[in-house]
Amino acid sequence: MESLPPQWGNCTQKTKKEGTFIMRSTKPFRSCLLSMLLIVVMSWNIFPGAARAQDELRIATSYKLMTLDPHYANLNENTSLLSHIYERLVYQDEKLDLKPGLAVSWRATSETQWQFKLRENVRFHDGSPFTADDVVYTIERIRDFVKSPNGGFRSYVSGIKSVSAPDPLTVVIETSGPVPNLPLSFSSIFVMHRPGQGFQTTQELNAGHAPVGTGPYRFESWSSGEMLKLKRNNDYWGDKPDWPEVTFRVIESPAARVAALTTGDVDIADAIPARDVASLKQRGAKIASVGAARINFIQFDVERETLPGVTDKSGVEIANPFKNPLVRRALAMATDRGVLVDKILAGYGTAAAQVFPNGLPGTSANLTPEAPNYEEAKALLAEAGFPEGFHVVLAGPAGRYPGDGESLQAIAQSWARIGVAVQPATSPFSVFNTRRAAGDYALWYGGTSGETVDVILHALLASPDPEGGSGALNFGHYRNQAFDQMLAKAQSIEEGLERNNALAEATDFVMADQPIIPLYHFHHIVGYGARVAAYAMHPRGWTTAMQTLPVTE
Amino acid sequence: MALISVALGRLAQAFLLLLAMSLVGFLGIHSVGNPVFNIVNIETATPEDIRNATIALGLDQPIWHQYGVFISNVVRGNFGTSYIYHMPAFALVISKLPATLELACVAMLIAAPVGVGLGLLAGRQSGTVFDRIVLRSSVFALSIPSFWLSMMLILAGAILTGWFPSGGRGATASFLGQEWSVLTRNGFWHLFLPALALAIPNIALIARLSRSGTIEVENLDFTRFCRAKGLSPRRILLRHTLPNISMPIVTIIGLQFGGMLAFAVVVESIFAWPGVGKLLIDSIQLLDRPVVMATLTFISVTFVALNAFVDLFHAVLDPRVRLSS
Repeated sequence: MESLPPQWGNCTQKTKKEGTFIMRSTKPFRSCLLSMLLIVVMSWNIFPGAARAQDELRIATSYKLMTLDPHYANLNENTSLLSHIYERLVYQDEKLDLKPGLAVSWRATSETQWQFKLRENVRFHDGSPFTADDVVYTIERIRDFVKSPNGGFRSYVSGIKSVSAPDPLTVVIETSGPVPNLPLSFSSIFVMHRPGQGFQTTQELNAGHAPVGTGPYRFESWSSGEMLKLKRNNDYWGDKPDWPEVTFRVIESPAARVAALTTGDVDIADAIPARDVASLKQRGAKIASVGAARINFIQFDVERETLPGVTDKSGVEIANPFKNPLVRRALAMATDRGVLVDKILAGYGTAAAQVFPNGLPGTSANLTPEAPNYEEAKALLAEAGFPEGFHVVLAGPAGRYPGDGESLQAIAQSWARIGVAVQPATSPFSVFNTRRAAGDYALWYGGTSGETVDVILHALLASPDPEGGSGALNFGHYRNQAFDQMLAKAQSIEEGLERNNALAEATDFVMADQPIIPLYHFHHIVGYGARVAAYAMHPRGWTTAMQTLPVTE
Repeated sequence: MALISVALGRLAQAFLLLLAMSLVGFLGIHSVGNPVFNIVNIETATPEDIRNATIALGLDQPIWHQYGVFISNVVRGNFGTSYIYHMPAFALVISKLPATLELACVAMLIAAPVGVGLGLLAGRQSGTVFDRIVLRSSVFALSIPSFWLSMMLILAGAILTGWFPSGGRGATASFLGQEWSVLTRNGFWHLFLPALALAIPNIALIARLSRSGTIEVENLDFTRFCRAKGLSPRRILLRHTLPNISMPIVTIIGLQFGGMLAFAVVVESIFAWPGVGKLLIDSIQLLDRPVVMATLTFISVTFVALNAFVDLFHAVLDPRVRLSS
C-alpha cells in the first residue's frame, strides 16, 4: 500500500514524455483510484473488529457435530458437543473411575440384575421432571428403535434383557448373562426424555426442535458440521454453569484453529498440533495437555503363511516371519520411541508399553517403555533365522493421528539398523482401511481407544471370534488361548482393585509375546486465551465448556 | 425456431454431460475405498457391525446395481441420505450454497472491476512503468499457490494487524430462508479476507486478458478514427475499447465464477468458510458418496447454466452474434 504513490508518480512522469494526450487521460482514473484507496484505508478505522459478547465462551473444535440424535452414532465427533445438552447416568472422571451422574448409586442385586438409584429434583430443559421412565425410554430407543447403519450404541445395551421402573427414582435392569461392567456402559449413553407416545426419529431431532436434555447447557441453534450455540441452563441440578453463552465453531483445519486462537477469535481451540505449541505460547496463549486414553501401535499379520511385500534381501518371497515371537520382540526392541515422542510429537506424547498410559486403572506397573537395544535385537533376529534381516512394507494412514506418517519414516530408520529394510507406505485413512481389510498389508500402524483397558484388550488382542464379539480389531489374527482365559476371568470380576489387578496381570502375560508393538499415547492438546483461567483436561479428549474455568475479575 | 433447436441441442448436451459425470464420479468414489469404514467407529466396531452397515447402505450389491439404484433415485429427485450427516444429500449441498454464493459474488465483484480497470489502464499505457508493474505482479499473483496467499492474508490481515477475523462466517442474517453473512457488518468483515484471497488471482487473470485486448483494439482503425474525431480518451476507453474487449473477459468471468462456486476448496478450508467446495472435499475424504454425487451434479448443472448464460450475454454484447443467429 505504502509503495503505491511513488509508482503512480513514476508512471505519470513517463507518460508526460510520451505526450500530454495520455497523461490527461489517466488523471480521472488516478484520482478515482486514489479516492477508492482512501476510502478503504479510512474504513479500516471506521469499522470495528468482530463484536464480542462479553460473557460468551467461544470454542474452536475439531469435533464435527453431525447429528443432534444422541443415539445415532457412537463417535466422539458427536458425543463431545452433545454432552453439554444430554447427561449420562454415570461419569468417568479424569482417572477413568466411575462417578455418579444422573444416577446417585448403583449395585448388582444378583448376578444378572442391577439396580440404579436416580438423582432427585432433576428437570429437563422443557421443565418436566427426570424419572426412571426416561431411562427406560432411552434404553428402549437405542435397543429397539434407532436403526443407524453404524450400529449406534446398540452394543452397549445388547446384554440387557429387560428394564423396568418400579418407582420414579429406581431403575432395575435384567441382563441375559452376568455383565459385571454394566455401569460403565451407562457412562456412554445419553438420557433422553420420553416425548409421550412412540419414539423421536433422527430426522425430528436434526430438524432443530430443540433437543431436550438435563445437561448444564441448553440448545440454542446449530448448523450441521459448522457450529453449535448453547445457553446456560439456570435450573441445572449441579453447580451453576460458568458461561451464560457458549458457541462452538467447527474448524477442521488445524492451522485455521491455531489462527483463530492467535487472533482472539475464539477463547479455546482443541487438537492443537504439537509443532504449533511453541509459537502459540509466544503469542500469549496458554496450553493444557494430557496423555490420551488411547494407543497407537504396530500390528502384525501372524496368520497367513506368506505376506505381501515381505521378502528376503534378494526379493524372494519368504515365509511369514511375524509368526515367530522372537522376530516381533526384536522389532519392538529396535523401535526408538524416544524419537517418536520427543521429535515427532515434540514432547506431546508418552512412550507406550501397554494399551493405556501407565497409572490408569488396569495398567501394569511392570511394563515400562524400553530404550532401543539394537545389538540384542540383531541377536534375536539371528536366533530367529534372519541374520541378514528382510524386506517389509510398513503401511499406515496419513493425517489421521498425530505423528502417524512421520512415525513410519522414523521406524524405518530404526529398523534399518538391525537389517530390516522397511518401505513405509501411507495412504488416506479410508483407503488404508479398505486395503487393510482386503489383506494388502503385512504389518501396519494402527490406533484405538476405549473406555477401559479391558475394552481395548478384548478388541485388539483377544482371539477373533465373530460370535462372541472378541478380537474385533485383531486384524492380524493373533491367537493366545491362555490370554483369552485370563482376560475372560478378569472381565467377570466386578469393577474394583481385584479386576484391575487381574487385567494388569493379563497385560503382562500377553505383552511378553509381543502381539503388537505399542508406540505412543499422544496427548490431547488444548490452547486457551486470556478470558479462560484454566482448562481441565480429560484423557477421553472431549472438548467442553464444563472443563473451562473463566477468569474472575 | 432456430432458437428452440439450439436450446434443445444444448439441453441434450447437458444431459449427456450429467450422465457421463455421474458415471465417472460414481465409479471414481467407489474405487477409492469402502465407505463403510468411515461410517462405523472403526476403533470399536465388530465385524458384525461392519456387515450390518454394509447391508444397510446397500454396499453389498454389485456396483452396476448400486449405480442403477442411484440413477433411478435421482430421476425421482432423491440423491440419497448422507452417510456422515444423516441428512438428505441435496438439501445438505443447498444449505452450504449461500456461504459459497456470497463468497464467490463478492470475490468477483472485487476481481472484475479491478482487473478490467487495471488491464485497460495498463494496455493503454503499454510499455510504461505502470504497465510493467501490472504485468509482473499479475504473473506473481497467478503463480502463488492459493493456500500460501490465504495464509499470508491471515498473517497480515488478522494476526499482525488484528483488522480482520481469521476465519468463520461471523454473524449472519436470514434472507429467503437462508443465512447470509454479507448482510451483517460482522459477517461482511469475516467475508473480506477469503473473498480477497479468491479475488487476487482472478484480478491478475482478468487484468492480463483486458490488457492484451486493449493493446489490440487501440491499434485498430476505428480507435484511430475516434481519436481523429476528437472524442475524449476516457470515452474512447469506456465506450469503444471496453465493449470490444469484453467477449473473452465475460467468458473467463463466467468460467472463473463457476470455479469459485465449486472449487474454492483451499480458501474455504483455510478460512473455515463452510461452503460447497469444503463440503465436496470433506465428503470425498469420508467417501460420503451421496453428498459427493449431489455436489458434482450441482456443479455440473451450474457450469452448464453459466456457459449458457455467457453465450446469451455474448449476444447482448456483440451485435454480430445476434445477426448471425
